Amino acid sequence: MSENAEFPRRIDALAAVVAFTAAAFERLQAPLELRRDVDFVLEELFTNVVKYGRGMAPVAIDIAPIAGGVEVTLIEPEAERFDVTRAPEVDTTLPAASRRPGGLGLHLIPRLVDSVKYDYSESERCSRITFRKTRTCPPPGDAAGHGGTRC
Amino acid sequence: MLTIEGGDGGPVVVAGRLDATQSAAAQSYLDRLDGVVTLDCAGLEYLSSAGLGVLLKTHKRLLGAGGRLRLTQVNRHLQDIFSYSGFDQILEIEPGR
Repeated sequence: MSENAEFPRRIDALAAVVAFTAAAFERLQAPLELRRDVDFVLEELFTNVVKYGRGMAPVAIDIAPIAGGVEVTLIEPEAERFDVTRAPEVDTTLPAASRRPGGLGLHLIPRLVDSVKYDYSESERCSRITFRKTRTCPPPGDAAGHGGTRC
Repeated sequence: MLTIEGGDGGPVVVAGRLDATQSAAAQSYLDRLDGVVTLDCAGLEYLSSAGLGVLLKTHKRLLGAGGRLRLTQVNRHLQDIFSYSGFDQILEIEPGR
């Protein structure tokens, strides 16, 4: 059992994505306290497709229940390969004058969820980004340097 | 939905969601303020990287003119975002209750 929907590649479709996520959480009885992080990650991934994707086909989002949370998949047809899990690191220690906002979204994603996986099918030219968010958080300051969400 | 009001000597009260659909409106509002600008975030439920960009651009502009941006009543979710992005090192942030 999962909830899924398709969205046009427009920034103003973000409101529909948020509404879909809210409804899906309710129907799946998923933990509501996880929703803001899920919204955040979906917004970053969706806006990334809108800004940089070259295809026209709608973007599909699937939300499935897992123990203690949700597994979310964003499917981008007509995609070029771009592994969001290998985005360049952002130096978050720079002073304000040297900071640029670009890239922050992808930098934050792994810090807000339990796992992120990227798959690309050359034959279908389709990318699938799957992330999991549960109440079980990684310990602060784990090996990857991620603090995890406070539980 | 985002609401933003106040300023001109008093705090700017921002409430709702500061996401990619609202960032242009928020930027436009903040662009007309000068000096030390206090953003009351008690009602700010959600902030994405688009919102972080608005805050960074505003803070840098204010710094250049001798002012700064400070945030008050920041909830724990937003504190996490500021911490992971390093914004807690460049902005004055006062946690909420």
